[in-house]
Amino acid sequence: MAFLEATSVAKRYGGIVALGGVDFAAERGEVHALLGENGAGKSTFIQVLAGSVRPDAGSIRLGGAEYRPADPRAARAAGVAAVFQELSLVPDLTVAQNVWFRREPLSRLATARRSALIERTEALFARYRFPDIAPDREVRRLSLADRQVVEIAKALAGDPSVLILDEATSALAPRETEWLLDLARSFARSGRLVVFISHRLGEVRALVDRVTVFRNGETVGAYPIGAVSDETMIADMLGRRLDRLYPERHATATARLALKVRGLSAGAALKNVDLDLREGEVLGVAGLQGHGQQALFQALFGALRATGEVEVWGKPVSIRNPRRALSPALGLALVPEDRRGQGLLLSKSVRENLTLSVIPRFSRFGLLSARREKALVDEMIAFLQIKAKTPEQPAGTLSGGNQQKVIFGKMLLTEAKILLLFDPTRGVDVGTKGEIFRLMRDLAAKGYAILFYSSDLSEPVHVADRVAVMRNGAVAAVLAGEAVTEEGILRAAMVERAAA
Amino acid sequence: MAPLSRHRAILLAYGAMIALLLVTSIFSPGFLSPGHLRSIVVLAAFIGIVALGQTFVIIGGGIDLSVPWVLNSAAVLMTLFAAGQDAPLLWIVPLLLAAGALVGAVNGIGIAVFGVPPIIMTLAVNVILQGGILVYTGGSPAAAAPPLIQYLAVGRIGVVPVIGVVWLVLALLASLVLSRTAFGRQLYAVGTSATVATFSGLPTLRTAIAGYTLSGFTAALAGMLLTGYSGQAYLGMGDPYLFTSIAAVAIGGASILGGSGHYIGTIAGAFVLTILTGLLPALNLSNGALLIVYGAVILVTVSVSSDAFADLFAFVRRRRAAG
Repeated sequence: MAFLEATSVAKRYGGIVALGGVDFAAERGEVHALLGENGAGKSTFIQVLAGSVRPDAGSIRLGGAEYRPADPRAARAAGVAAVFQELSLVPDLTVAQNVWFRREPLSRLATARRSALIERTEALFARYRFPDIAPDREVRRLSLADRQVVEIAKALAGDPSVLILDEATSALAPRETEWLLDLARSFARSGRLVVFISHRLGEVRALVDRVTVFRNGETVGAYPIGAVSDETMIADMLGRRLDRLYPERHATATARLALKVRGLSAGAALKNVDLDLREGEVLGVAGLQGHGQQALFQALFGALRATGEVEVWGKPVSIRNPRRALSPALGLALVPEDRRGQGLLLSKSVRENLTLSVIPRFSRFGLLSARREKALVDEMIAFLQIKAKTPEQPAGTLSGGNQQKVIFGKMLLTEAKILLLFDPTRGVDVGTKGEIFRLMRDLAAKGYAILFYSSDLSEPVHVADRVAVMRNGAVAAVLAGEAVTEEGILRAAMVERAAA
Repeated sequence: MAPLSRHRAILLAYGAMIALLLVTSIFSPGFLSPGHLRSIVVLAAFIGIVALGQTFVIIGGGIDLSVPWVLNSAAVLMTLFAAGQDAPLLWIVPLLLAAGALVGAVNGIGIAVFGVPPIIMTLAVNVILQGGILVYTGGSPAAAAPPLIQYLAVGRIGVVPVIGVVWLVLALLASLVLSRTAFGRQLYAVGTSATVATFSGLPTLRTAIAGYTLSGFTAALAGMLLTGYSGQAYLGMGDPYLFTSIAAVAIGGASILGGSGHYIGTIAGAFVLTILTGLLPALNLSNGALLIVYGAVILVTVSVSSDAFADLFAFVRRRRAAG
């Protein structure tokens, strides 16, 4: 009998089968990957393990005993801790208070508790070699990546025997990702279990010992990692053979400059950035997280005040705000970092979201034409193969990949020809990722100019024509041709740090 | 909220309206007589007109607490300037409507451009107007409403009250604007998420300011019409409309957090509130008890019909899951 063994675990929500009876077995001492597309049942399964969802049928055994947690507290008490994509931290509490949230020793003297908490936090951080984060800092002042790190600390605080990491690396920079992978390895080597969920096959291959693949709420395969190819894993996930994740890359760039940026600066975030983006080109932007990529995209979209010169299709422009950026005169559109907070009106329909930026295209004298709006919406849903029951479905109820497609559709409807894509594949399933990459290359071939940032370094390497590597708010290097490799990017991103 | 559940909230408000009407007619025979129904329409119309602007403001994610004294100011100034004559209304009415809109625009600019929280901004403007009118009138304004205004407020065309017709026209216009115009679409978007609206290239500031401007306009309009109902203007005549204008919107199914709701629902809300004020005296309660019941009933109705409760439940569930 395996250390953690689930048999025929099933869960339905009304008429929707989330889990049709999955089997899962993992041993102590291993890192076990759980793979599958969005909607395959991974999330439901780990919520069952973490005690926040109760299965309708099936049994789970942990260490030989029946495991049936009533709630997340019970799961933690049994030694199962999960780190979810959605953060559960309290913004106004400190790092230490969050790490020991609901575990704090109940002392009446807040001051005594505070110093004890900080000591314990420092001990925990030292034990797992955490990145440098001050335990007395308030969480709301931390970056998204640091919050994710605190979330991991919170899971480790109870000294669990099973650690579940759900896309825990998606918000992390390469350096922190490396750290987390090391942590997962040493955690497993100490005789405990890591269940690891990631859409990044490279990471999975480098880290895990065994994989289990879910599709449509069923277990479709379980392999030792050494005995399975990427193609098999992808085919298992998709149920069909995906020829390849990355499309062919033909050089489609012309000599015409779509975007010429000189001396773009914004406080400490952006220093004298020069950039040339050509018609038909996909220009990757890379670097360690927090080195100005975000500021660059926001400044070009008018969401961040910046100084410097910007030329769009040869004309000097000033991008005062997003409204100006999206105007036909400029034609700059953005896929923002925060899909749910900046990109979509979650409670509004797919239709309203798709046409949000192009209301004038189907109105006359301020009056909307439902017929013309429907034509635009139907066309875009068909073009991008957005999987929604009806265009009236609230966007927030779509899967992550389909939400991202809605944002792409909204951007394409504006007829902007310069696209700023900030991490467009984050939290998106493999199948949709492939579609997004193909779409990017197709658009480039049609003369669009695309600026593309990804938190996954392998993506610009395979999709972009050239890659601008940022360091400390400036462009440290622009790599082209054979020089575009993950090693090359990392070297350019870190060389100054190594010297310092 | 999905369109379906939004419609459900509006249907619920109309259901409540009809149920209340039937209950009241049991306690108070004669309640359903034509004369009585007519007076319900008239009273609901005043709430409905004030709540029109409030509906737009709340859908846009704000709240307008300056309604009482915009209403008072317009009422007091109109009666003072007109001195009981119809002729000067030709310039007084447009002037005061524009002034109401201007006050609304100031609210909107303070909130959208300078980032003052809506509650603070509109409350401050309310107090400033109150002070201004007290200084200007010396605290005792007394002038009769001109005949034309009285006709608009209490006159009838056949069996139909004139103000009912005025309200119907305004209601049709408001519904058209919310459902069928670019401005309406933008207002819902801004109220749902100002950040997403900005990132989508919408004129966020202009949209928010327009909502408050409309609210100032309708409050001033209601104030002038209301003098026709009571025969004169008096300080404090707008006070009840702060609570009722917001409650009508919420009973009508709008989320108090913005981004959802419709004027069609607000209309039902205005009727519910009016019928309720008629029902409670019929139960022979003392004045104090009346106010307590009135407040409690509104609180419960608003809680049940608005999204706020659903939002709260969803929040609690999420916190538990994250626990």
